[in-house]
Amino acid sequence: MQIELNEEQEFFRAATRRFLEAETPLSVVRDLYESRDGFDRTWWRKASELGWTSLLVPEQLGGGTLSGKPTCDAAIVAEEIGRLVAPGPFLPVNVVAASVAREGSDEQGSSVLPGLLSGEIVATWAICEPQRQWDVRDIRTSATPQGTDIVVDGAKAYVEALGSADLVLVSARTGDGLTQLLVPTGTPGVRTTPGRSIDITRRFGSITFDGARLPASAVVGEIGGAADQIAWQLDLAVALQCAELVGIADRTLEFTMQYGLERSAFGRPIVSYQALKHRIADMAVQLEGAKAVSDALAAAIDDGAASTSALASVAKAYVGTHALDIVDDCVQITGGIGVTWEHDIHLYNRRAAVDRAVFGTPEDHKNTLLTQVVATNKGPA
Amino acid sequence: MSPDAPEPIAVFRARAARWMERHLPRWDDELMPTRALQNLLYDHGFAGIAFPTQYGGAGLTLEHQQAFVEETAVQDRQLPMENRVSIGMLGPTILDRGSEDTKERFLPSLLRGDSVWMQLLSEPQGGSDMAGSMTRLSRDGATFVLNGSKMWSSGALEADYGLCLCRSNWDVPKHRGLSMIAVPLKDTPGMSIQPTRSASGLVSDYCEEFFDDVVLPAGNLIGGENEGWAVAQTLLMHERNTVGNIGYGRLIGQRERGPKRMFGGEPAVSSAVAAHERGRLDAVGMMIVDAYIQSVVVPLTSARVMAGLRAGTHKGQWGSLTKLQSTVAAQASVRTALAAHGADGVIWEGDEVRVDNVGTTWLESRGGTIAGGTNEMQRNIISERLLGLPKEPAPDRDLPFSEVLRNTRRR
Ligand SMILES: Cc1cc2nc3c(=O)[nH]c(=O)nc-3n(C[C@H](O)[C@H](O)[C@H](O)COP(=O)(O)OP(=O)(O)OC[C@H]3O[C@@H](n4cnc5c(N)ncnc54)[C@H](O)[C@@H]3O)c2cc1C
Repeated sequence: MQIELNEEQEFFRAATRRFLEAETPLSVVRDLYESRDGFDRTWWRKASELGWTSLLVPEQLGGGTLSGKPTCDAAIVAEEIGRLVAPGPFLPVNVVAASVAREGSDEQGSSVLPGLLSGEIVATWAICEPQRQWDVRDIRTSATPQGTDIVVDGAKAYVEALGSADLVLVSARTGDGLTQLLVPTGTPGVRTTPGRSIDITRRFGSITFDGARLPASAVVGEIGGAADQIAWQLDLAVALQCAELVGIADRTLEFTMQYGLERSAFGRPIVSYQALKHRIADMAVQLEGAKAVSDALAAAIDDGAASTSALASVAKAYVGTHALDIVDDCVQITGGIGVTWEHDIHLYNRRAAVDRAVFGTPEDHKNTLLTQVVATNKGPA
Repeated sequence: MSPDAPEPIAVFRARAARWMERHLPRWDDELMPTRALQNLLYDHGFAGIAFPTQYGGAGLTLEHQQAFVEETAVQDRQLPMENRVSIGMLGPTILDRGSEDTKERFLPSLLRGDSVWMQLLSEPQGGSDMAGSMTRLSRDGATFVLNGSKMWSSGALEADYGLCLCRSNWDVPKHRGLSMIAVPLKDTPGMSIQPTRSASGLVSDYCEEFFDDVVLPAGNLIGGENEGWAVAQTLLMHERNTVGNIGYGRLIGQRERGPKRMFGGEPAVSSAVAAHERGRLDAVGMMIVDAYIQSVVVPLTSARVMAGLRAGTHKGQWGSLTKLQSTVAAQASVRTALAAHGADGVIWEGDEVRVDNVGTTWLESRGGTIAGGTNEMQRNIISERLLGLPKEPAPDRDLPFSEVLRNTRRR
């Protein structure tokens, strides 16, 4: 929840909230549980028209920011999505769009971006490998130049919206360096396996590459030179995810306090008991800290600040931990109805648990901080 | 500078930067005595930056004050830290609640550091229930007479004035019979001050005071007679702000966000070095990282709250939130250091008593969640005043104070 929004950002937040409340209220989210993709493509085009997919792409490539701070703008949408546990591939599409805009060739810019921005094309990002971590050092999938082609071998997992994706941005290894490629899902040698998650609408999938052959024009950026770009994408993904988690925790605490004011026991509203009030006060501290650090991360990405990755790890460790703890403790405050299908709180608990795990658990990020930051005395400036 | 067009922040900042380069010593220079440092700031227009000029301030805003302390952090310049209570808490309280006469009489010398102020609120029988004060203030013509005792009063031995909460009417409910009065602390007939030894054994600066028919001029009242509760509330708000380093209490610049950063606890990096040397990094590592994460998040949170208070998205008692957050984090960092240093943190060779160890720091840090209103009281304030949850039932609220159940346990 950024404090100093400009007028356009305020307007955009309000429009986004109205759109979500009208188009995907929680009843619609629940209905999407049974669907294959977890979102409707026509709806996604409408969301794209609102500007959801163009914030991280510069104007000359068809996008545009509201404030000159693209990540801060995108964080507004992510937070609103969190508040209503909304569907849609917001995060992966934006990461791919931003990556193509930053590093892609002119040809990629003109062939891929228009469709991504209009919502016609859905793209996702494949970085993590089965049972490994969201960490550039853990990338084993290989991209090997052969003549004018690149041959890809390996496997990726936990890829969001893979079942609906037309294109996958694949992060792979070439010798000591890293390479990114845009891979159409129908490419021979590429096999996708759909998967689900405990979230109501968010689908994932895994993908294997068995000698998949791609033209050199599929490479985004330089062969072997993508390490910094991948690290940047990870920071961006964590920033959007933290904003979503802030929205989740904020909204859950809001409706839980309301519930607690209306529900009485022993002649008093349950939230008049200190045992609950004090826990809620602690949650308010954690929520305020979560907002502060996730805003700081978005701003650091936009500023190109040094040590942004360390700040991203601090943010994910803090927000990932506390957002789920807040939602989970709100379940306790809600009592028995809180563990039924009927009550909405489980929708939030589900999304928070998935977000906690994807792009690194708080524990993964703490390990990174311990070995790379604290023990070596290099912190975010 | 006219009040409607204050100096632009960037211009002020550049001016302050140039000034401190020439006048303010660095932290690694010889330490300048607090009073001299405060005099220096005052004489060059950098004390009470957000206070009106007629009371000796610079007539600027809290944003200017913030820019100034940030610049001192960038340049690593000394600030009169020991004056934080006087400047960050008592000064703003007098400004908010004092009469024109008391503001003119007291504020200039307070801001110049020529008189140092502290607070006399807690009493032996209770601190949380501050409105239960039993210190008696009786009117005697144009003067008042004070009887009773106060406890835990930080800095009373060194300070020149204490702002004392006392009961001036016993026949009305407790919040309505209180007054706040300024008590001179040096050579005051009828008053004695005794230091209280802290559990850490560090030279403790809190004291117990006994008042035996202490005569005070009526002009020393801050706020009206029997209106002391509102003044106490204001004072507590400024105290939480000072602990949380926001508002008028933003008196410490924050530069480093790295693991070396210290925020009233132990820097994560020194714990990491100790744990590593002892081969205990695996087990203690996560505690250290958590302390490090807090050392990044806590200052970001107070910066956010400051920005929100300025922008109006945050209203009211947010100092309670930053106070709760920072004191819990500071204590956890010291507990982490205790874990990291193990036996070497609490045992040493030689006969002499030593206080330069993490064990002593830990004992000393224990007061952080009690002083300034216990953290339970902060949780009450956050839940009731920030979040709007129901207030605690208080059976004594509307009873005349003379009928209220008294605490039989005085310490
Ligand atoms: C280092 C230090 C410096 C200090 N400096 C000063 C100073 O300069 N001036 C000054 O006036 N005072 C000062 N104090 C005193 C401090 O404000 C009090 O100690 C504090 O307010 C608690 O009061 P108490 O010690 O009487 O504890 P009590 O009020 O007796 O509280 C005991 C326990 O009961 C809990 N409790 C009480 N009421 C409630 C409630 N409604 N809900 C839940 N829990 C409750 C408390 O949280 C605490 O855990 C200082 C204290 C310390 C430790």
